[in-house]
Amino acid sequence: MAALLEVEDLRKAFGGLVAVNNVSLAVSAGEVLGLIGPNGSGKTTLLNLIAGTIRPDAGKIRMAGEDVTRLPNHLRVRRRINRTFQLVRAPPNMPAIGTVMAGVLYGAGARVRFKDAGYEAAGWLGEMNVLTKADRRFDQLTYIEQKRVELARALATRPRVLLLDEWLSGLSSSELEGGMSVVWSLAAQGIAVILVEHVMTAVRALCHRVIVMNAGSKIAEGRPEAVLRDAEVIRAYLGDDDA
Amino acid sequence: MADTQEDKRRRRNRAAAAIGSLAVLVAALATVPWLLSDYGLALMINVMCYLVLTIAWALFSGTTRLVSLATSAFFGVGMYTVAMSIKVLPLYAAFVLAIGVGAALALVVGVLTLRLSGMFFVIFSFGLSEMIRELMVWWEINQTHTMGRYVFVPFDTTMIYEHLLGLAVLVFLAGWQLRRSRLGLALLVIGEDETVARQVGINVPFAKVAIFIVSAMFMTLAGALMAPRFGFINPNFAFNPLVSFVVVIMALLGGLQKLWGPVLGVIPLIILSEKLQTQFPFWYSVFLGLVFMVIVYFLPRGVTGLLEDAWEALGRPLELPRGLTGPLLDAWAFLSRPIYLPRGIAGAIEERWLKIMPRASEKR
Repeated sequence: MAALLEVEDLRKAFGGLVAVNNVSLAVSAGEVLGLIGPNGSGKTTLLNLIAGTIRPDAGKIRMAGEDVTRLPNHLRVRRRINRTFQLVRAPPNMPAIGTVMAGVLYGAGARVRFKDAGYEAAGWLGEMNVLTKADRRFDQLTYIEQKRVELARALATRPRVLLLDEWLSGLSSSELEGGMSVVWSLAAQGIAVILVEHVMTAVRALCHRVIVMNAGSKIAEGRPEAVLRDAEVIRAYLGDDDA
Repeated sequence: MADTQEDKRRRRNRAAAAIGSLAVLVAALATVPWLLSDYGLALMINVMCYLVLTIAWALFSGTTRLVSLATSAFFGVGMYTVAMSIKVLPLYAAFVLAIGVGAALALVVGVLTLRLSGMFFVIFSFGLSEMIRELMVWWEINQTHTMGRYVFVPFDTTMIYEHLLGLAVLVFLAGWQLRRSRLGLALLVIGEDETVARQVGINVPFAKVAIFIVSAMFMTLAGALMAPRFGFINPNFAFNPLVSFVVVIMALLGGLQKLWGPVLGVIPLIILSEKLQTQFPFWYSVFLGLVFMVIVYFLPRGVTGLLEDAWEALGRPLELPRGLTGPLLDAWAFLSRPIYLPRGIAGAIEERWLKIMPRASEKR
């Protein structure tokens, strides 16, 4: 299967600190790729580079064969790459449906009239099970509701590659189960998902493949069972922080 | 999901009622020159002029939350373009030229500065109008050797008033349309969180520059229409920085949440400054400054908010005296409260209205 998103030797340094050091990866449609590693290992920076939130120093990003390395954030959204943020982000004072509508209107989907965008946005909120909160201000929602609204915002732009930055973290066990089934159904619809996650249950259950990062570099890649076993070994030798 | 027939009919009726009442209001306002004295008309011209400037300011600053102090730059450019071109161009051609110059200036300034955020943009926009003023003074003294220009054209106060009224209707309609458009929604998202705006696919610089230009065109045309009103124009008069500040205060007093909010800010402040100017001509600026400080610091919800608080305080039981530190501590707590974007008179009225007529969604 040809890869949908290809990343080649991506590199980003902040001053003297190399946050992402020549990382390559590929993910194909319908695949869930896990990205794990200790805090500060460069996972979120890598996501930022792929989404276009920041620019890489070197390397290439190809989306469906097209080089998108130099494209700004909003044009990558239209090339169907989208993401959620580690610390949930949405306009706090707007009704929850507002950003989702903006996603419908400005995303990669077919052009809709302003009047109809509300219906389509309501559809996405419904899919995420938060339709009843549509006219509630974003900052009045609970944490899990905010996460679901944010995902609805991302989905409304019709992504083919979706980057989830710790989207499953901080949830109760029942919420986690619901969240995992959401991610599962996204992959089943043919979306390529890159999952940055600390919750190992989710990584084990969801990911087809896992990449382990440490200090900006890729140190392991493979099937979750195998990689996580290796990670256990690393933990045993170097302590919890390096696993 | 689709609208029911009932919904459609109700919406059409409401739209018809709104358009009808607006038409009646505008028609009534159009007869003002034949009803009022010359003094009254002069006051109404001021009201209309500041109404256009304030709503145009709110188009840009109310949505993107970038406080612009460049109002006087565009207002002055409009006025000065007319003053400079009136000898070679017919009046309406001069107006069109003014809009063109204003739009071009807004494009250049927008592209250069809208990547600046918050405070930096405020300072830049202020510096811009001051720079243009100084440039014009230098130009007039060293190049054309004039201290000012005369604008004598057959365009009397009635004509000025009617044109400003038309412009006010246009800017109002522009704001109304903006609230129902892709661009308007994009600007609201940008105003709250630019990172999220980019992440839903909005071209942030483009959207900001677009609305900045639209807003500037209205301001420039207002300035152009006002040029014949004054007859004699010099750079210090045309680019008076006070205009920028007055517009911000009017918008904040009225409240930015509602499109008609600025109306409630413009009228009382015009009347107030008129009174101050006639009764205390030497102390006018000092008084105006104090009024500004009082509004921004103590009336974040407008005058109506103050009355509400007073009413509530009357119902509260008296507190025992706590010595001198008590009130001081209260004052400190009050002063150190964060200042929110004022909702103004319009916000207070909306609150009242929602208490009487709750929204359908809240009734359930």
